[in-house]
Amino acid sequence: MELFNFFIQRWDSILELALEHIVIVITAMLISIALGIITGVLITYYNKSAKIVLSIAGILMTVPSLALFSLLIPVMGIGKAPAIAGIVIYTQLPIIRNVYIGIMNIDPSIIEAANGMGISPRKIMYKIKLPLAFPVIMAGVRTSVVMGIGIGAIAAYIGAGGLGAYIFHGISRSNDKMIIIGAVLISVLTILADKGLGRLQKHYEI
Amino acid sequence: MIRFENVTKKYGSKDKPAVDNLDLHIEEGEICILVGPSGCGKTTTMKMINRLIKQTSGKIFIGGKDIDAIDPIKLRLGIGYVIQGIGLFPHMTIEDNIATVPLEKGWDKQRISKRVDELLELVELAPDEYRKKRPSNLSGGQKQRVGVARALAADPPVMLMDEPFGALDPITRSRLQNEFLHIQEKLKKTIVFVTHDIDEAIKMGDKIAVMRDGNIVQFGTPYEILSNPADEFVSDLIGGNSTLKMMHLITCEKAMRVPFVVSQEEEIENILQSAQDRRIKILAVTDSSQRLVGFAEYKNLVNHHGKIGSIMKKVTNTVDVRMTLQDALSEMFSFGSKFVFVADHQRKVKGILNIDDLLKAVSEDEKNTDAMA
Repeated sequence: MELFNFFIQRWDSILELALEHIVIVITAMLISIALGIITGVLITYYNKSAKIVLSIAGILMTVPSLALFSLLIPVMGIGKAPAIAGIVIYTQLPIIRNVYIGIMNIDPSIIEAANGMGISPRKIMYKIKLPLAFPVIMAGVRTSVVMGIGIGAIAAYIGAGGLGAYIFHGISRSNDKMIIIGAVLISVLTILADKGLGRLQKHYEI
Repeated sequence: MIRFENVTKKYGSKDKPAVDNLDLHIEEGEICILVGPSGCGKTTTMKMINRLIKQTSGKIFIGGKDIDAIDPIKLRLGIGYVIQGIGLFPHMTIEDNIATVPLEKGWDKQRISKRVDELLELVELAPDEYRKKRPSNLSGGQKQRVGVARALAADPPVMLMDEPFGALDPITRSRLQNEFLHIQEKLKKTIVFVTHDIDEAIKMGDKIAVMRDGNIVQFGTPYEILSNPADEFVSDLIGGNSTLKMMHLITCEKAMRVPFVVSQEEEIENILQSAQDRRIKILAVTDSSQRLVGFAEYKNLVNHHGKIGSIMKKVTNTVDVRMTLQDALSEMFSFGSKFVFVADHQRKVKGILNIDDLLKAVSEDEKNTDAMA
């Protein structure tokens, strides 16, 4: 009850932080998805590069996010820009990997037929390969978005704001209520994003 | 129509070419079968025609034009392509699958929609029922019908078919082969057809090119291949019984006898009288619209009275006039009967065949070919 009152009293500033969080994550994810899909598509044409690109993306994901953000400070300073960059770097692997796997696992006879019928490679990509790989790609995107929202909280450490800032303030002031509210709201955002993307996927799937 | 001149294909740095200095001329309107064991170069040969595989040396001409001078996309849009895996696009409806090439060629909507209906009817799938279905809702045989329709969509003069019926069960395969031959009778496409099944080659081919190790061992009509195999490899491929294989070459229409047909309303006494002295064993019984419904053995009629419809046995299976003697024989075997009726698609009885008729037809045929040689 006390927690509830605390929330009611400060709901406007909490809402502001939540919106800030959402804006950071959406910006980062739009960049990440575009970059990931382009990279994933490109490495299907150059099979040798696929291994290298996937390992690099894999290694980047193993860097602790706190360290990744700190390393970005000398390059990009503090604030929202390095936060967005960090989230993009961190969420590349699931997208690239799923685009690659989704496309490479299409029944080869479908691609052979398309080739033999005289459809250009570019059209085969966007009319056949990408639609067929869509469910797998979406699974990767959902994983990345979930990760992105979580890491977005840590980005508050380099001054990006968002709900993470609320948690950090709670820690420094030993205020349990702030920590709990921040954490719960981040969880709620994550669940909503995941479910929403799931809906979207179902809607466009065959 | 399609001409190979000294065509060689080497893969990588291997010494032995996959296709070795091949010369081949395929006439317009013919089905040319490339047959041989796996690794003989038949698929490579076929795929060089639409430039899916680039030859190492030599030239290939279609209708007198060097294919290397044609843009590969344009070339392929003018060549129908059917493969064993079928490769229908699972995210598109049957209609959209068939419309793929016409759409690429920039046909307008109305023309495409009309063409889709036409093709679905041609491959005996009801347009209204199938147009909006997806490939996953079709059986293997239906999928391959759509595969054939899709390849025919823009009415290409040349078709390439890579084991198109290979993945189907024997009964469906035989049906689709017959239907395809029937379609080809009307369309007269120039077809290059790859198979490893010599029976299919004999049945489908106007010409057969038997291949081994990248070379053509023998090129000729099915008759020539069967009656005069070039060497041991070819005769091994044909297998022991070339007489039996001849059955693939003769249609039921050519070998059948005209049966004794009676209406099911007919009185047995009348039949016995009129059928006397004709040495009839089997009578075909038809309904009022002359469709075959049953049969009766002459010897069982004696001592019976009333209408023949009351004692006849039902006929469940018939063969079509266009089917081969091989089909008739397997029909007899699978239903354990000594004869089979030949009927048209409206179930009107056209003839009857028994084992003796089959043997007679094949042995006469051998005499004819011997005489020709």
